[in-house]
Amino acid sequence: MAYIRKRNKRIFLIFLLPAMLVLFLTTIYPMLYAGYLSFRSYDLAKLFVPRVFVGWSNYGEILGSSEFLHALVTTFKLMAMTLSVQLVLGVGIALIVTQKLPGMPLARTLLMIPMMISPVIVGLVWLFLYFPELGYLNYFLSFLGFDSIPWITSTDWALWAIAIADIWQWTPFVMMGTAAALQSLSPEPYEAAMIDGNSRWDVFTRVTLPQLKPVLVSLMFLRAIDAFKIYDIIFVLTKGGPGDSTEVLSMFIYRQSFTFWRMGVGAAASFVSLVIIVVLITLFFKSLNRDQVS
Amino acid sequence: MTRNLRQNILVYALLAVVLIVFMTPIYLIVSSSVKPSPIMFQKPPAFLFTPTFEHYHDLFAMRPFTKFIWNSLIVALGSTAFSLTIGSLAAYAISRIRHKRMNDVAFWILSMRMFPPIAVVVPYYIIFKSAGLLDTPLALIIVYSTANIPLTVWLMKGFFDEVPLALEEAAAVDGYGLLATFWYVTLPLAAPGLAVSAVFCFIFSWNEFLFALMLTGSEAQTATVAVMSFWSSDAVQWGRIMAGSFIILIPGVIFVLTCQRWLVRGLTMGSVK
Amino acid sequence: MSAITLKNVIKKYGAVQVVHGVDLDIDEGEFVVLLGPSGCGKTTTLRMVAGLEDVSGGELSIGGQVVNNVAPKDRGVAMVFQNYALYPHMTVKKNMEFALRPLKLDKAEVDKRINDTAAILGLGELLERRPVQLSGGQRQRVAMGRAMVRTPDVFLFDEPLSNLDAKLRTQVRWEIGKLHQRLGTTVLYVTHDQVEAMTLADKVVIMRDGYVEQVGTPEEVYTAPQSTFVATFIGSPSMNMIEAKVVAERLEANGFSMPLPDRFQGKVTEGQAVTIGVRPIEIKRVAASSTGAMQANVEVTEYLGNEALLDLRVGPHELVAEVPADQRVEPGKVIHIALNEGAIHLFDTVSGRTLSE
Ligand SMILES: Nc1ncnc2c1ncn2[C@@H]1O[C@H](COP(=O)(O)OP(=O)(O)O)[C@@H](O)[C@H]1O
Ligand SMILES: [Mg+2]
Repeated sequence: MAYIRKRNKRIFLIFLLPAMLVLFLTTIYPMLYAGYLSFRSYDLAKLFVPRVFVGWSNYGEILGSSEFLHALVTTFKLMAMTLSVQLVLGVGIALIVTQKLPGMPLARTLLMIPMMISPVIVGLVWLFLYFPELGYLNYFLSFLGFDSIPWITSTDWALWAIAIADIWQWTPFVMMGTAAALQSLSPEPYEAAMIDGNSRWDVFTRVTLPQLKPVLVSLMFLRAIDAFKIYDIIFVLTKGGPGDSTEVLSMFIYRQSFTFWRMGVGAAASFVSLVIIVVLITLFFKSLNRDQVS
Repeated sequence: MTRNLRQNILVYALLAVVLIVFMTPIYLIVSSSVKPSPIMFQKPPAFLFTPTFEHYHDLFAMRPFTKFIWNSLIVALGSTAFSLTIGSLAAYAISRIRHKRMNDVAFWILSMRMFPPIAVVVPYYIIFKSAGLLDTPLALIIVYSTANIPLTVWLMKGFFDEVPLALEEAAAVDGYGLLATFWYVTLPLAAPGLAVSAVFCFIFSWNEFLFALMLTGSEAQTATVAVMSFWSSDAVQWGRIMAGSFIILIPGVIFVLTCQRWLVRGLTMGSVK
Repeated sequence: MSAITLKNVIKKYGAVQVVHGVDLDIDEGEFVVLLGPSGCGKTTTLRMVAGLEDVSGGELSIGGQVVNNVAPKDRGVAMVFQNYALYPHMTVKKNMEFALRPLKLDKAEVDKRINDTAAILGLGELLERRPVQLSGGQRQRVAMGRAMVRTPDVFLFDEPLSNLDAKLRTQVRWEIGKLHQRLGTTVLYVTHDQVEAMTLADKVVIMRDGYVEQVGTPEEVYTAPQSTFVATFIGSPSMNMIEAKVVAERLEANGFSMPLPDRFQGKVTEGQAVTIGVRPIEIKRVAASSTGAMQANVEVTEYLGNEALLDLRVGPHELVAEVPADQRVEPGKVIHIALNEGAIHLFDTVSGRTLSE
């Protein structure tokens, strides 16, 4: 080992450098810049107001504003809605498509397609389905006895409309990760349980789920981190409305920065969301490391 | 026996429901892109109709859409090439350096991919504006690399880890330096990883919308932004939207159908093997 | 062809020392085998010679030149790795070409060398195949071919036969021996298999826990082991070891007694703790009445065709005897045995070193 690893230490560092440099310039630097902006009044709508240092006032403004807190709450609400459904549905579908029956590999493949579709296209096709008066979704649901639902025009339903589109796109992700984990489980505990005569439910809750737990935890963290990025679908479906019913953090930042041109406030909000994400990412890596140790 | 049969029927019935729910939107994109406008929302939906290519025709008759696809291609290929070069070098280093902090470096690089893009859109906008890069493909190539480099590093590290060190030692004994060994021995053996990383980078860039919307105007606009522009509150041109959507989703579908076994590794960034 | 010299060569991994000052002279054209149990530092030593591990202390020279800080590629060595390390993405021919490229030969010479080597090793048919399309024995031969085309000064082998089945192992072993006779290149060969060492080596180097226990020809290490470790490691079944004491010109052990053979006179002192070593083949069945006869219980009998192994109990001692098959007896019987006094070895129990010299 030693020769390759030791003699070339310097070359390895040279290999590593460009990536570190690029990532620093394209990620860390803009983040620091966002930090810098967040302490300025940077109001593009008021061209002649100097961009002065304003201390914590941008932070004070967003943390004191009900709009920002509302956006934060909405983000977590949407996260809770999508994650819980994706977890249950994803595991359920994984149990179906990992049965050793003809056609299952094809089904697994087909079900992965939604993940690879551009989120903006996902938004558009669900807009097509939800479209007031015309969309097919209410038509399909009428067969199941539902009344017409004002998906994107009602404050009660709009968040669900967004959640459903996200659930459609990302349940396959939980399915795929769970299926991979299920297929790598050792068959022996199952055979033992079968001989001992345990019920299926018992086997699932006491044998399968505990073994899946680390994978499910990882998958949920990745989804939670992604929930902070959700943007395109909302942009297409509701643009944060009706009212502010679907204004999540990313929409809030967008509107502050590009609708009201208050970039300082937008940057302050960005920074708050960065802090939350850092916490999530740290927890995710901790959970990964714990799995690797155990 | 009968118990098994009943069970299997139940499994297939559930599968059918799942497939119908998950495939319907995709079916709608495909069918609506060739449906004549008058029957676009007809109920019950027409399953059998004479397909029309008028939407595709409209789409391409409008010259810029070809240009937007070109823009998407240039940006996606550019970012893929850039990220692959830089990312696989870094991945090789991380895979070969024995240092207790190397894990932290790898995690730091990976975490760069996890930050919400919206949080850096404002600084990007200002930085690119002052650099005169707004509305150029270069701006998007740079931005997309922030997501693509970490992905490449993480994926390629896994592939490099699997190349036996003995092969590199054999080359060292045979008279090759590190660069030649990397080029002739290690890289060819990690070629599947390069292919997978390339596809992920390409599709991410091809599909991206937020930055493309914020950082481009009429010149460097990409296909996703262009499709969105057919949506306006007064006259939604569903036929064109669906035709454009279909074109945009082709690379992703091809990827899923050809290399789905790598999807798990790519999407979960190695947390599920 | 080059001579290799190791002077007090040491290897440390961090604070842990795994090779403790190895001294070794390998002559030009000599076939030297590093033999020892797993983990004793054979591979590490070989890799230091190859340049794949740094030397932590001492001096290593190849062809008279100190190479401690010379890169592997400049040492004129070729190595056959334990798992062959064939480049999986190249055909057999490409593998060999790749090994030749740094030599910058002209095309005709490259082709000639590859064809010659392929002919010697019988690889002609396989040149266009990839490693995955080869059997274990074929891969092994390609690995040797790849090392041979470079006409190195030194061949290094790390357990080259360990991945082959028993039959193939014998055959390839024989081929390696022939190749060495033909090419005359210096060889350093690592194995834990004593049969390989005994059949191939001009000189065997027996290692244990990072120390060299003994260096000698196969015959020397078999007939004149310098320590109890070498004595028990070489030979199959292992040499019997009996702990005894020197008492009044006799070797006395619990329930066991024999006169001290004349050749050890003056080499032992009264009351010294010694270990008697005797190979199974040197234990004979004798009549109960003959002098020196000892009574032994037969516990297990293993029939091997020509001969049989008897597991014997003499007082508290367990011994193995190898007797002609027709002299074997049922377990549970009592027989009489005698040791061939001319063939016993004597070791100092405390130091483990031989008393025969
Ligand atoms: N890279 C390493 N770091 C620490 N210890 C090592 C390393 N490589 C080998 N060792 C130790 O050195 C000793 C000798 O190893 P090795 O030369 O491979 O033995 P052998 O080839 O005789 O089986 C072993 O105890 C092994 O654990
Ligand atoms: Mg070894």
